[in-house]
Amino acid sequence: MATNVLICDDSSFARKQMARAIPKEWDVEVHFAGDGVEGVQAIREGKGEVVFLDLTMPNLDGYGVLEAIRKEDLPAMVIVVSGDIQPDAQERVKKLGAMAFIKKPIDSDKAREVLSEYGILPGAVS
Amino acid sequence: MTDTATVSLNEDQRDCYQELTNVAMGQAADRLARLLDSYVVLPIPKVNLIEANDLRMAIQEVETESAMSAVCQGFIGSGIAGEALLLFNDTSFSDLANLMNYDGELDRHGQLELLMDVSSLLIGACIQGIGEQLEIHFNQGHPVVLGQHCRVDELLQNSVNPWTKTLAIEIHYTMEQANIDCDLLLLFTEDSVAKLNNKINFLLD
Amino acid sequence: MADSNIEIGDIHWLMAILQNIDVGLVVLDRNYNIQLWNGFMESHSGLSPQVVSGQNLFDQFHEIPRDWFMKKAEPVFQLKTRTFTIWEQRPYLFRFKNYRPITGRASVMYQNTSIIPLESIDRSVNHICLIIYDVTDIAVSRADVETAQQSLSERNRTDILTGLNNRSYWQEEADIIYRQCQNTGVSSTLLMLEIDDFRNLQRSRGHRTADEVIRSLSHCLMETVQQEDLLCRYDGEVFALMLNGVNSDDARIYADHICKRASEVCFEPIGEGITLSIGMATFSTSYNGVDDWLQAADKAMYHARESGGNRVSVFASGSK
Repeated sequence: MATNVLICDDSSFARKQMARAIPKEWDVEVHFAGDGVEGVQAIREGKGEVVFLDLTMPNLDGYGVLEAIRKEDLPAMVIVVSGDIQPDAQERVKKLGAMAFIKKPIDSDKAREVLSEYGILPGAVS
Repeated sequence: MTDTATVSLNEDQRDCYQELTNVAMGQAADRLARLLDSYVVLPIPKVNLIEANDLRMAIQEVETESAMSAVCQGFIGSGIAGEALLLFNDTSFSDLANLMNYDGELDRHGQLELLMDVSSLLIGACIQGIGEQLEIHFNQGHPVVLGQHCRVDELLQNSVNPWTKTLAIEIHYTMEQANIDCDLLLLFTEDSVAKLNNKINFLLD
Repeated sequence: MADSNIEIGDIHWLMAILQNIDVGLVVLDRNYNIQLWNGFMESHSGLSPQVVSGQNLFDQFHEIPRDWFMKKAEPVFQLKTRTFTIWEQRPYLFRFKNYRPITGRASVMYQNTSIIPLESIDRSVNHICLIIYDVTDIAVSRADVETAQQSLSERNRTDILTGLNNRSYWQEEADIIYRQCQNTGVSSTLLMLEIDDFRNLQRSRGHRTADEVIRSLSHCLMETVQQEDLLCRYDGEVFALMLNGVNSDDARIYADHICKRASEVCFEPIGEGITLSIGMATFSTSYNGVDDWLQAADKAMYHARESGGNRVSVFASGSK
């Protein structure tokens, strides 16, 4: 069955780049959200089994989304994809329950590596 | 002059510039944060077409402040040129000196040293970051500190290259633990914008 | 160029360019030891690459402050960013003598420097490159412009005939003293001085001689005032003098002295002394600004003139 993947980023360009970076062999259904509020809503609807989450967003930022997921105990594996790569930011999101941190700009090799590492990508890693 | 094609910017392009800048300033902030051991608050950059008059007003405000508080630096690569303007709005030099571990006297000369060091980092990292994503190698000229040997009113009067409207990327940096607040403005020449838009369109495809 | 295939022959001419280019190129390793030293650096320092190669930068060039330079260079190693120094910060990095006896007007070469990271194949930065630009011409012409601007602004505040401050500059400065009096309560005294019967002098001896008298009087006044006092040629044969921080008693002594001295001293162009009418007004909170104060002194001067000249009159509030 296809995995529901949510890409949550305020930039449509970044959403497209992220979608392109998703490994071709992975059976997914991709959903999009343009800010944190839309993102949380989509996760509630079960569209975000795996979430690629940006940090700097209007309305509700990435940190807010992570907090909401934790508070409502939503079933989502979150990979933060951010341009803010300061050590502090990486630490904060890990504490808030993010599974991994990928720095922008993203490419498919990096995405595959992280997904394999956490066993999300089936059949990968020999 | 055939390069006076009107400068334009559509929504997709604006979004793309914003995202490229976001990533570039993230890299800049990361360098600064590591060097200063302080978290840099990252806002969403503003991408706009700016009128010459707006810039004039921004620079004039600098002039009314008696302290030196602005640094300009030109950059050029692959025929795309522009200038970065770093404006320190509400910045305490003593906070800056603390962060930078600067223990000299904070006279005019000391302030100049600080401005040069901070602007090298902020401007350089941001320009290189944008350049890398667009596969452009930007060369940077030497920084000019406004108000030092370069009088702002003369700057405004003697502009040889009158332009009316051009692409501006605006980034507002603040520091979490110190009274530091500055705006970085990246301004491209009018004829660079079309080339830049081409590069962007290529990414958007 | 970077990804084209460079052949041995090409390296040869690239090296020739490096040697002949008119900017300084220096490559330093992680310990600030010199790895490359191009022709520009050799020519200006008089040190050949063989001599400096492998030497530590700071041992070899004591004019470069280690701490200062490392503040600029360490970010280049650590963060792969470029940094810059400009001549306004430090006139030069390397102390090179000016090498042009005719057109060179500074004693040293002013320099701007770029410090750029050199990436190794593994993308780490173990070397940095200094690019040294000779900006002496720019620095010198900046200095010229500043001197010119300064002399212009001096000209703007000077009376041409006497070399004293002119009226508009005096008024600005007097305003500062007025506010000091207001804020600190320290009193100052304003004198207005006028040459008696000046029109007569002009008519009988000619304008040129009359001008000479004005000039002589201004020298005479300048010799007697203190540095913190403020003197100007106010108008024609009228001078204004702000005695900064001087109360009315001391000012009266001074005014009487100057009145006497002018009448006794021999003014060269006319071979005799001149008489003055001096009006005096000490600061009072009733003055609504410097103009008010001036008007008071002016009234007193008018009174001195009307009383026959060669005297000092003191403004008393209530007098007309």
